[in-house]
Amino acid sequence: MKKFISLLLASVMTVGLLAGCGGGGDTTETAETSGDVYKVCNLVNGNLGDKSFFDSAESGLAELAAAGRIEYQTIEMGATTEDEARWEGVLDEVSASGEYDLIICDTYQMPDYLKNVSEKYPDQKYLIYDDTTYELPNVVNLSYAQNDLGYLVGTFAAAMTTETGVEGINEDAVIGFVGGVDSPVINDFLYGFMVGAQNVNPDIKIDTRYTNSYVDTAKAKELAESMINDNKCDIIWGVAGNSGNGAAEAALETGKAYFIGVDSDQEETFSPELAAITLTSGLKNIGQSLVWFFDEWDAGNEHWGEHILLGMAEGGIGIVTDKNFDAMAPDSVKEAVNAAIEAVANGEVEVPTAIGDETNAAVTMRESLKP
Amino acid sequence: MSTLMNMVMTTSFWYSIIRIASPILFAALAAVVSEKAGLSNIGLEGTMAFSALFGVLFAYWTNSWLVGVIGALIIGALLGLMIGFFAMKLKTDIILCGIAVNLMGGGGTIFLMYLFTGLKGNTASLTTPQMLTPKINIPGLSSIPVLGDIFSGHSILTYLAFLMVFLVWVLLYKTPLALQIRAVGENDHAAESVGIKVLKIQYIALGLGGALAGLGGAYMSMYYSQSFNTGIVAGRGFIALAAQAMGQGEPVGTMFASLLFGLATALGNKMEGMPGFSSYLVAAIPYAVTIIGLILYALSTIKKVKKIKK
Repeated sequence: MKKFISLLLASVMTVGLLAGCGGGGDTTETAETSGDVYKVCNLVNGNLGDKSFFDSAESGLAELAAAGRIEYQTIEMGATTEDEARWEGVLDEVSASGEYDLIICDTYQMPDYLKNVSEKYPDQKYLIYDDTTYELPNVVNLSYAQNDLGYLVGTFAAAMTTETGVEGINEDAVIGFVGGVDSPVINDFLYGFMVGAQNVNPDIKIDTRYTNSYVDTAKAKELAESMINDNKCDIIWGVAGNSGNGAAEAALETGKAYFIGVDSDQEETFSPELAAITLTSGLKNIGQSLVWFFDEWDAGNEHWGEHILLGMAEGGIGIVTDKNFDAMAPDSVKEAVNAAIEAVANGEVEVPTAIGDETNAAVTMRESLKP
Repeated sequence: MSTLMNMVMTTSFWYSIIRIASPILFAALAAVVSEKAGLSNIGLEGTMAFSALFGVLFAYWTNSWLVGVIGALIIGALLGLMIGFFAMKLKTDIILCGIAVNLMGGGGTIFLMYLFTGLKGNTASLTTPQMLTPKINIPGLSSIPVLGDIFSGHSILTYLAFLMVFLVWVLLYKTPLALQIRAVGENDHAAESVGIKVLKIQYIALGLGGALAGLGGAYMSMYYSQSFNTGIVAGRGFIALAAQAMGQGEPVGTMFASLLFGLATALGNKMEGMPGFSSYLVAAIPYAVTIIGLILYALSTIKKVKKIKK
């Protein structure tokens, strides 16, 4: 009997584990071409379908595969606590197989595992995107100029918040920022956002609050409602993963504010009602950055052991300028945003960064801009 | 400080307290019912997660929020009964069952969401206005200044939550079932000796508790947030356990404990927007309030025990 019970309990727990296995191991075969065809393994420490980083990376790889430049396999490792225990094992196994020219990992949860494994297999090449934790001889780190991205969004939001001709926009120059966690990466978005906004309007006020969670949508909604009702924020940028959507819901339900998305084009992922109040999104183009990386590799520029910061010029970041942006923003706002895009791309504007900044200038600025 | 006062003296602040407290109240009442029957159901967090998902799914399939809420309620009840089956029939530790349900709520919901919708992050793209529980403007009340703004215009589920406080009180003190549930909770062997069907009572308590937690789940994904996303319950099922303990296991006390937690959270949300408050510090306020509440409760119990000994 006892055995039966433990078996039952074990099977119950396994359901949780199974979550990560859905749809794993899609192999894409490609036609041979004359150039080098790299064999690539894309390790997703979560699942495809996030309509964000993972999907963006996958689309970049699919584009490369369709062009016959790579052959790749994507392994979805799942994101639960139980799955996380296996990430390093999978990474080790894939590395040990020696089948791949390049193994791709992503973002902030993988660096420690990658450090352990990459030291064990010094001949294997790795790429990790959206992370700058370690410098390892056989790993290339791609990161994205989220401060530049913030600058573009800040320029837009500050220019837009006084356009009272647009329905729902009030005359107060107050905009909002809902962040995930008070950490250097999130504050890097914020820093650019503040500098961009101040460049447009020196008297701008920015209400910044953090959800302290990337999944608590309701919390973000409460924070955003308070911003809208207490401080008359009419444009809110949500940089808090899934929970950022709560800010969009607050904007929709109060009917007094608009939302700006992040990382991917969130207008595409929302219900029609939420999409209607999403003005634009700040983009991290993971897929484009992978294409850029293989362009470099083909051209003989090898970057192993380097940290590469991709900005506007490399197509690493961007801002959505079609759909709602195109339809709702007045020409003066569009001009301001286009000027900012150009200035960031050709280096006219140097946006400060919050990452590695010992003086904590972003935090000081944040406090001084609160309404 | 004056800015904080200005923010607190708004109707939206008091309105938000009720909104924050409601899902916690549902789950806390679930804990009250099962605890009265002597069962510690700590699987409320996972139960809420499953119900939040299935509420959205049923509503999506039928384009009706009502079907979604009923579906969430049924799924919650089934999970409660499942915990009962493992704990009572198969004699596993009920705490372990609760942990298993919570773990399943983490990964299992992603698995099921993908299975049914092909989505893995959130269901925001599926939402239609018909899928969201309606807000109710109470005639008469809504036209009163201040009070109307605070107490009217909540989700139908919010009113249901507070109605449930009364219904659970009736259930636990004014029905034939009441004595049986409490007798089983106090001493199941004694209850059995006078012919109470202990197993049946325990199943009823867990099933009812699960259904209540299910409503809390529906509240999360069909009103509080407009869609399901992984991790949406975000610890509210655990806070509810604290609220139950703080309310000394009584429905009305639990309601006030939930409202206290709502007040602390709403205050934190406002302070977050003011210069000089670290978000880390502010995030800890509701939990600090919970711990202080539990300490006060423990102190009062110790006093009582000492009095009895004397």
